[in-house]
Amino acid sequence: MNAAPVIEVDSIVTRFGAQTVHDGVSFSVLRGQVAAIIGSSGSGKSVLVREIIGLLRPAAGRVRMLDTDVWNASEEELSALRRRFGMMFQDGALFSSLTVAQNVATPLIEHADVPPHLLGALVRLRIALAGLPVEAAGKMPSELSGGMRKRAAVARALALEPAVLLLDEPTSGLDPITARAFDKMLRFLCNDLGLTILLVTHDLETLLGIVDHVIVLSEGKVIADGPVKEVMGVDDPWLQSYFRVRTILEGAANNHGT
Amino acid sequence: MSASTRYCWLERAGEQATLFLSGTWHLPRIAEIDAALAGAGMPASPLTLDGAALATLDTAAALALLRRIAGAGASIERLANFNVSHVRVIEAVRARVGDATVEAEPRHHGPLAVLGMHAMEFRGLMEGHLNFFGRSAAALGEVALRPRALRPKELAAQFQHVCIEAIPVVVLATFLIGVVLTYLFGLQAEKYGANIFVVDGVAIGTSRELSPIIVAVIVAGRSGAAFTAQLGTMLLTEEIDAIRTLGLSPMQVLVIPRFLALVVALPLLVFVGDVSGLAGAMTVANPLLDITPTTFIERVHSELPVIHVIVGLVKAAVFAAFIAMIACRMGMTVSRDTRSIGINTTSTVVQCIVSVILLDAFFAILFQELGY
Repeated sequence: MNAAPVIEVDSIVTRFGAQTVHDGVSFSVLRGQVAAIIGSSGSGKSVLVREIIGLLRPAAGRVRMLDTDVWNASEEELSALRRRFGMMFQDGALFSSLTVAQNVATPLIEHADVPPHLLGALVRLRIALAGLPVEAAGKMPSELSGGMRKRAAVARALALEPAVLLLDEPTSGLDPITARAFDKMLRFLCNDLGLTILLVTHDLETLLGIVDHVIVLSEGKVIADGPVKEVMGVDDPWLQSYFRVRTILEGAANNHGT
Repeated sequence: MSASTRYCWLERAGEQATLFLSGTWHLPRIAEIDAALAGAGMPASPLTLDGAALATLDTAAALALLRRIAGAGASIERLANFNVSHVRVIEAVRARVGDATVEAEPRHHGPLAVLGMHAMEFRGLMEGHLNFFGRSAAALGEVALRPRALRPKELAAQFQHVCIEAIPVVVLATFLIGVVLTYLFGLQAEKYGANIFVVDGVAIGTSRELSPIIVAVIVAGRSGAAFTAQLGTMLLTEEIDAIRTLGLSPMQVLVIPRFLALVVALPLLVFVGDVSGLAGAMTVANPLLDITPTTFIERVHSELPVIHVIVGLVKAAVFAAFIAMIACRMGMTVSRDTRSIGINTTSTVVQCIVSVILLDAFFAILFQELGY
C-alpha cells in the first residue's frame, strides 16, 4: 500500500504553437512522499502541474492521480477527484473579497456536510495546521504578507482533507527563515497527516531539506528522477551547475568568516 | 443502528469508561460521526479511547472527537490499540486545537458611529479630490509652459477611445431622446394647435440641457469607469511605481492626456448629440405633427439662438473636467487588492453622475442670473 503511485504522468507532450514544451515526460510519485519538480525557468514546470490537476489539456499522454485518469474522466469523476487534492498557486490565489477564514470555509461549505457548530473550529484548525496565527483568520488577503498569503492558501488547499497537496513554488519570494519554517510545515503534513506532496521549486534548501524524490525537467524531457543524493550525481551540465551554486555559496560564506 | 453506521460506543468496567471507535472517520461523514459522538453518552470523567477497529481517521473527525469529549467535560486518559498514524493525527489536532478556541468576532458599530465614519470618509474623499485637482492644475500649468511635455501619441490614443469610439452610442441615445421628446410635446401641443412650437422646445431643450447631460452620463459610465479601471490596474501591477522610478510624472504621463482628451471630446460629442437629437425630432415631426423637414430646419434656424448651443458646449467642457479628475483620482487611489478596483470603479461612476447633475443645477442658476 505504501508503495502505490499516487500520481502517474505518462509520456506527456505539450505544445504551444510551434514550440514543444514537453516531449514525452513520464514520472510517478509514491504515496507519502514529498516529491519536487525542478528545472530551469521556462522548462514548463508550472504547466506540467496544471496538466496534472486538469486545468490544461496536454497534446498527448496520460495523467493518473489517485486512480483517476484525469484527461479521460467524466465530469463526476473529476469533481470527486478535485475534492481529494489541494493546490496552492504561486501567489496564493486567495479570493480577495473574502477574509482568510471565509476563504478556507468556502470549499467546506460547498463540498462537505459539516455541522454548523463544528465549521468555525474546523476552519481554525486548518489555519493552525498551515502554521498561521489565529488572528490572521479575520484578515483580508491584502493585509497579509507574502508568506502568510501562501500559508493561507495552504490552509484553503487543506480544507477538504486532501490526500495529495500540490504547490507551485511554495518558498519563492520568502526570506530564508520563513521558507525553512514553510518546509517544516510541509514535512509535518507529510509525516503526521500522511499527505503526498508534489511541489515545483527552485529552492535548493527545500530540495536538500525535505524532499524525498526529485524530478528534473530539461528541454522537454525528464533528465533525472530519483532521490536527491542520486540526482546530485547525474552528469548533466545544468544539473551540475544548479547543485554547484550551494558549494559556491558555502565557500563564499566561509571566506567571509575567516 | 447497523454495524456500518456505528462509529462509536461506550463500555464501562467499574470506574473505567472506554470509548470504542470504529469504521471510517473522515470529512465526508463528519455529520454522522458528530451525531454518533453526541449520542454516545460520554461521562464527565477520564476516558480510555480504543481505536482497534478504526480504519481511517482524518483531522476533521479528530477535531469532532476532541470537541465532543471536551464538551462533555470528559478527558482522554489513554489511547489504546491505536494505529501509529491515527495517534499522530490526534496529537497534531490536539496540539493546535488549544490555540484555536479564540473566537474572532467582527466588531459592530452603532448607527451614529457608522454615520460619523461615513461623514469622515466623505470629508477625506473631498479633501483628496481637492488636493488632486490642485496637483493636476499644476501639471497642466507645466505642460502649458513646456508643450514638449505633452504626449501627442498618448493624447491621440485617448481621444480615439473617449471620442471617436463613443460616437455610435451617443448618436443612438440622443436620437431616441429627440424622438421621445417630440412625441410627448407633440401630444400636448396638438391640443392647442401649437404644433410648430414643439420645434422650439425640442431644439432649446436638447441643445441646452438634455444633450450635455445625457452625453456626460454616457461618457461617465464609459470613459470614467475605464480610466479608473486602467489606472487602478496599473497601480496594482506597480506600473505607476515604475513610471515614478523612471523619473517620469504619472500626472503628466497618465492623467493629463486623459484629462485633455476628455475636455476636448465631450463638447464635440455634445454637438454630435445636438444634431442627432434634432434629427430624431425631425424624423417624427413629419408624420406626427405635419411639420416637414424643410419647415423644421427653417424653424430651428430662426428660433434657436446660438447662445443655447454655446451654453451646452461650455457646460460639457466643465463636466468633462470633473469626470476626468474624479475618474483618474479614484484610479490612482485603489488599495492593493483586486476587489478595490471594482469598488472604486463603481464609486467613480456614481460620483461622476452626481457631480454632473449638481454642476448642471449650478449652471442653470448661474446662467439665469447672468441673463443667458
